[in-house]
Amino acid sequence: MQGIVLEQLAMNLAPAVADAQAISPLLIVVLCAVAGVGTVLMLPSRREAAFRKIGGAVALLAAVIFGATLVRFTAKANDPMGLYFWIFGAIAIFGALRVVTHRRPVYSALYFILTVFASAGLFVLLWAEFMAAALVLIYAGAIMVTYVFVIMLAAQAGGGELSEGEMQSREPVASCALGFGMMALLLYAIFDRAPAALAPVTTPITEDLSVRGLAHYLFTNQLVNLELAGVLLTMAMVGAITIARRRLWSAQSSDQTGAQGIVIGDDDPHSIPVTGTTDPRRKAYPEA
Amino acid sequence: MTELTLEHYLAVGTIMFAIGVIGFMARRNLIIMFLSTELMFQGIAIDLIAFGRYRLTSNPEVFFASQAFVIFVLVVAAAEAALALGLVVLLFRQKQTLDPQAWQELKN
Repeated sequence: MQGIVLEQLAMNLAPAVADAQAISPLLIVVLCAVAGVGTVLMLPSRREAAFRKIGGAVALLAAVIFGATLVRFTAKANDPMGLYFWIFGAIAIFGALRVVTHRRPVYSALYFILTVFASAGLFVLLWAEFMAAALVLIYAGAIMVTYVFVIMLAAQAGGGELSEGEMQSREPVASCALGFGMMALLLYAIFDRAPAALAPVTTPITEDLSVRGLAHYLFTNQLVNLELAGVLLTMAMVGAITIARRRLWSAQSSDQTGAQGIVIGDDDPHSIPVTGTTDPRRKAYPEA
Repeated sequence: MTELTLEHYLAVGTIMFAIGVIGFMARRNLIIMFLSTELMFQGIAIDLIAFGRYRLTSNPEVFFASQAFVIFVLVVAAAEAALALGLVVLLFRQKQTLDPQAWQELKN
């Protein structure tokens, strides 16, 4: 009994010992640490611009080495689509890093749109054409327009000057250590297997996997969920309108002042004006 | 070993997710913090679609289920963006800044 268990254990352990991991954990940790140092330098701070360029170069170096180790597994590729994966992946990660490290929110939003387009390219490579189109429409079209509008609405007074919050980062070293530590852990989990055990495509794409099949699946198997998604969106819209309708009244026109001299008004359109106060929106209750 | 594997796509998605986490923690601008959450959603979406494509068997529902998952991720992202940006505008009108550290009066 014990012999069988040990034998199975040995069989399970044998390939792991014989074949090293696809990418050794040490390399992952070192690359993540290097990229983390580069990102710390790139994050907005009062450092000279030269330091930020050095940080960018360091992070780029780590990304190139990581890409080169990954390319090894596709050395024999005859797949002409393979090249596009590297292009789109590089653009997506570059854009993501710039979203996080650029000082000006408008540029961050534009780099995010770049990232969205690169992700849509990756989706096309994965034969998810509908998702690629939906991603561009929803993210680059709808959500980003909202973001850009809010950036304009919340433009700080003083034109092009950067505010305190945009010039500095909050705990850059700690957050980079945490983020890149998590990245190293996840990449270790992903590549903790023999190179031959990496999962290639097994099933070719057929015609019934196209948008028609997806639509059929969505409106038969996922019908209730789809309706619930619509309900969720409606609720979010109502909530957003409710939040946006709240108005601020300056302290002069009301008899009670809150903190900062600003009172959040009750903007119920049906509130009844009551005598005893000059503000028609504020009810005055008789002191019993 | 002769072509792109699932792990390639998972690596891209993972890196994007981690960069989003860093942005959310490190930046001091509410708008960029919420952009970072969108980055995290994007990384997860790439992972989900890659799983659907590479775990595809004779049953096509695996592929469709991953895409349905991403659709719901997009729905949640849109709802989150609408509500969060409404709140951001409301907060900005009270303090005239997007710095979340302006809202720390409860800290001490």
